[in-house]
Amino acid sequence: MALNRRYLNRFFIRFGLVTFTLLALGPVLWGVVTSLFPLSSLTSRPPDLNPVNLTIENYILVFDTSRGLFSGLINSFIIAFFTSAVALAVGSAAAYALARLNMPGSNLILMMILATQMFPGIVIAIPLFLVMSRLDLVDTHFGLIMVYLSFILPIVIWILKGFFESVPMELERAAAVDGATPLQTFQFVVLPISLPPLFATGVFAFIESWNEFFFAIILTRINVKTAPIAIAEFSGQYTTLYGQMLASAVLASIPVVILAIIFRRFILEGFVEGAIKA
Amino acid sequence: MQSTSDYNRKRFRMGIWFITPALLILLTVLAYPIIASFVLSFQRIRFAGNGLSHQFIGLNNYAELISNQLFRESLFRSVYFTVMEVIAVSVLALLVALMLNTPLGRHAFFRVVLLVPWALAPVANAVLWKWIFNTNYGVLNAILIGLNIIDKPIVWLGSPWLALNMILIADVWKAIPFIALLLLAGLQSIPPHLYKAARLDGANTWQQFVHVTLPGLKTTIVISIVLQSIWALKVFDLIYVLTHGSPADSTVLLNYLSWRETFSNLDIGYGAAIANVLFVIMFILALLYIRALRPRQVKEKRSGTK
Repeated sequence: MALNRRYLNRFFIRFGLVTFTLLALGPVLWGVVTSLFPLSSLTSRPPDLNPVNLTIENYILVFDTSRGLFSGLINSFIIAFFTSAVALAVGSAAAYALARLNMPGSNLILMMILATQMFPGIVIAIPLFLVMSRLDLVDTHFGLIMVYLSFILPIVIWILKGFFESVPMELERAAAVDGATPLQTFQFVVLPISLPPLFATGVFAFIESWNEFFFAIILTRINVKTAPIAIAEFSGQYTTLYGQMLASAVLASIPVVILAIIFRRFILEGFVEGAIKA
Repeated sequence: MQSTSDYNRKRFRMGIWFITPALLILLTVLAYPIIASFVLSFQRIRFAGNGLSHQFIGLNNYAELISNQLFRESLFRSVYFTVMEVIAVSVLALLVALMLNTPLGRHAFFRVVLLVPWALAPVANAVLWKWIFNTNYGVLNAILIGLNIIDKPIVWLGSPWLALNMILIADVWKAIPFIALLLLAGLQSIPPHLYKAARLDGANTWQQFVHVTLPGLKTTIVISIVLQSIWALKVFDLIYVLTHGSPADSTVLLNYLSWRETFSNLDIGYGAAIANVLFVIMFILALLYIRALRPRQVKEKRSGTK
């Protein structure tokens, strides 16, 4: 009987895992399929997914410059790249100060940083929009990068603080005994061994800025429209061009999904576990 | 060899230098706007010539909020949306996490499967579901008709409650992976010897779940509920792409309402007042999050291990 139960359990787990995989990947695969077939073969009942109908026409059409996807991808890249770079440079310094340099009030600062994760974007978007319109920063890369730092920088500090705390204290003490200044210790001892987590945190920051939509819709007009804005426009203006709508979504998702899969170990250990450890 | 006090002074000075840039950025793009948002909410703001005219009107914007039916409905819908999302995601994500914690589910393949919906751009997620829910060509209607569950296509995004719940489904689908990963990390931190002890005491699978797994996951569950509430209150992309608030404003939630009042209707002070209501709700949730994190920290320190 125990054997039967075990067999049954295993059956349920297998069934559950298959259902889970289908539900998680099904919608995504259907989106990819849609982007690769002409609408006529998708709307016939049942759908005619004969491989001879495969076409990349949708992908060619979405790169038409008038659609804004190509420039959107470039803008997204520029903004995500610089947001991550600045967040890493500024954030790693701040994280190290909080983790190791006995800053007064560091607990308070950390709690404030954590609380920023909870602010609704709209609260900061309205005043920033007013200020940025006055300074002519609306619809500029610089403006959007600054605003993205408001939510990227706190996460970066939080994750990196965790990593710096895991660097053995003995290493730093040894460097100090050898006469290294605190800056040298940071530069030549702590930073080199923290490169992989730094890079992974950068990847995480990149994904978050690449995907951002809410601030982008408020703070961009024409020049720095990002990829998510271009996708949303496909769904608004060209309501019947489903294939192109999905093709643009696939194109914008490929880079971040690949990054997430490659760096999954870091994302799981650094960010996911960071969220439940104080 | 340098003196200790000299060294410590150097460390302190370096700490100031290291933290200043980050604090300056956060003051500019976070602290200033949060304060300004409260100031704006006490004003009536009009477009005058090239600039804006500000007029102090006290609590009028908030008084208007309370008497405004759309605001009250949006608040109610936001609460409904948040509660439903938290319940659905918590249950489903726990199920996923439990499955992925079995010997079969530990395969790296399933972790990759989880990361795909997580990494997907929210807007890509929104257009994906817009296509799936499409009345004439959508795969959801096709499947349901194919299985003879319905006999004619349903207009998923066409009637008030249905549209809101369809948005909820799309949001739940996107939120499950991250929460499942959180819970999985929590599951893996439960010491195996607890299960062994429970089995020795004769506990069956269900009893082990109730008396070992759930208590072990308590902190993680509290944190994931708070995080999800915050995300659900912020939902915007899905509404923007799927319905734009239609039909008849029935999918307008607080965040969307604040955005629309500010940037479409250009009623900036009123929009800021709505934003601040949302801010206060989320701030309370944030305090809960921090409280949930704290006791664990103390416990860990006391036990002296990781």
